[in-house]
Amino acid sequence: MNESLPPGSTRSAAFESPPSGGDLSEAQTLPGERWLIDQSCRQVVLLWYGSAVFWLLFGSLLALTASIKLHTPWFLADTAWLTFGRVRPAHLNTMIYGWASMSGIGTMLWLFARLCKTRLVWREGLYMTAIYWNILVAVGTIAILAGYSTSVEWMEFPAWAAGPIAFAFFVIHVAAWKMLANRRKGHLYISLWYLFGCTMWFPFLYLAATILIQTPASTGIAKMATNWWFAHNVLGLWLTPIGLASVYYFIPKVIGRPIHSYHFSLLGFWTLAIFYNWAGTHHLIGGPLPAWVVTVGIVGSLMMFIPVATVAINHHMTMVGYFHVLKTSPTLRFIVFGAMSYTAVSVQGSLQSIRALNEVTHFTHYTIAHAHLGVYAFFTMVAFGSMYYVMPRLVECEWPSAPLIKVHFWGTAIGMSLYWIGLTWHGVEQGLAMNNPDIPFIDIVQRTIPYLWSRSVAGVLMTIGHCAFAISVWYMLRRHGATSTEPTLFTSPRKLFQLRQSARQAT
Amino acid sequence: MTVILAIWIFMVILGLTSVAALVWAIQAGQFQSLDDGAESIFDVDEPIGMVTDSFPASPSGRRAGIGRLTNE
Repeated sequence: MNESLPPGSTRSAAFESPPSGGDLSEAQTLPGERWLIDQSCRQVVLLWYGSAVFWLLFGSLLALTASIKLHTPWFLADTAWLTFGRVRPAHLNTMIYGWASMSGIGTMLWLFARLCKTRLVWREGLYMTAIYWNILVAVGTIAILAGYSTSVEWMEFPAWAAGPIAFAFFVIHVAAWKMLANRRKGHLYISLWYLFGCTMWFPFLYLAATILIQTPASTGIAKMATNWWFAHNVLGLWLTPIGLASVYYFIPKVIGRPIHSYHFSLLGFWTLAIFYNWAGTHHLIGGPLPAWVVTVGIVGSLMMFIPVATVAINHHMTMVGYFHVLKTSPTLRFIVFGAMSYTAVSVQGSLQSIRALNEVTHFTHYTIAHAHLGVYAFFTMVAFGSMYYVMPRLVECEWPSAPLIKVHFWGTAIGMSLYWIGLTWHGVEQGLAMNNPDIPFIDIVQRTIPYLWSRSVAGVLMTIGHCAFAISVWYMLRRHGATSTEPTLFTSPRKLFQLRQSARQAT
Repeated sequence: MTVILAIWIFMVILGLTSVAALVWAIQAGQFQSLDDGAESIFDVDEPIGMVTDSFPASPSGRRAGIGRLTNE
């Protein structure tokens, strides 16, 4: 894979010597070194990203189909493989294992290389793993649409797919381990803790949950408890760490200001590592489980206020005085939207685990809105922002069009907000009505229909945003944007160093 | 109940990995010189005070925001 500079190129001179007058510490990387590190990720990360965008579009089509069916049940109802019971889990799995995991792993590999200040290891293996992963998601999705779903939520791929998927996660874990072992700086930046944590936790979690769910001894309530321990941790111990690692890198890096409190960031990581694993059983409040099992889940959920508060304070205080950069940085717009949503979804999640509130919101559309606030408004928006930063540095050209990025942002931001507001508002209404035995059930169902329409409209807006993004990514892969002649995009090292020096002199 | 006990064993194992990592982090001195750690993402050509992302240039070639210095 191409990682060497063309001999005699005009770039070479810029890489070989740092800008004059610069003091290089152990922590700093020369522009040429950073270019080599970025280029070592190029083919691998672009394959993970490109595949992720394909699954995002495919998952959006499935999502729209499922959403329309809720208020217009006869829509595509004559084909067995397009019935709601198949389309909805196919949407969930393509989004989680296709879009979210593949875009997350792409960003993760790039961040590992940058933060360990070393080239990406085992590139051929990671490239093959992306192909292998795509095949698994494709076959698993076809199996769900063909009617072979396990019906265990978040694990609907057929049982035989579990081992091969766990193997792919294990490969990522080994690659992460190798990157850490090769790192040039002893200190682990906070993002590395999150990233290494999730590559260690998730293969174990996936395998343990699969064994427990597939074992013949696991029936009824035991299967359900395992299911929710696993499903909650897909968000908590897989997607959340990748999302937070990205936020902790991109906010300071884009605005040029270190994290407000590094102490807080470490406290946030360790409390998440210790508490999140215990929260899953709050999904079973009111279920036929021993009360203490559910209570432990509630305690774990409420303890999550600590890491959430540290993250929220840290991100907000880092941004104070820099909000004007939101106007000019696409990366920052998406990342800050995601970071704010993380605070919202986490506070909402902890409150939802309180029994009195759960009695109202459980089994309503409120839960659907909450799930999308986590996986979409938080994780997906952060993933978009990360890709806007990483891709130009890999393909060495600019994004082709600012208007396309704005359509993407406003389509997804307005769509997601509409989605969340409509279903959250109605979820509470629906819950209160269902707890009132005097209201006929059919009346509650009919009252739901306008809000389901708002959900479909929101889905259309988000899909428009996804199409704009896919067009941008396609042009980037074809290198249709303006080409940069500098080792790092957007900046000319020497010129900016001189600017920096003159700013120092001015102060 | 056996399976629920098994889930708990797996949860405890998962929690213990975090505790083990915490012990290693303390022993390896990961919690020393935290300010250096926070600044480790900046480089000589992308120093503290530099904005490193902006919308692509407009057809007139004008870019907004890039490299704006904050005098920190």
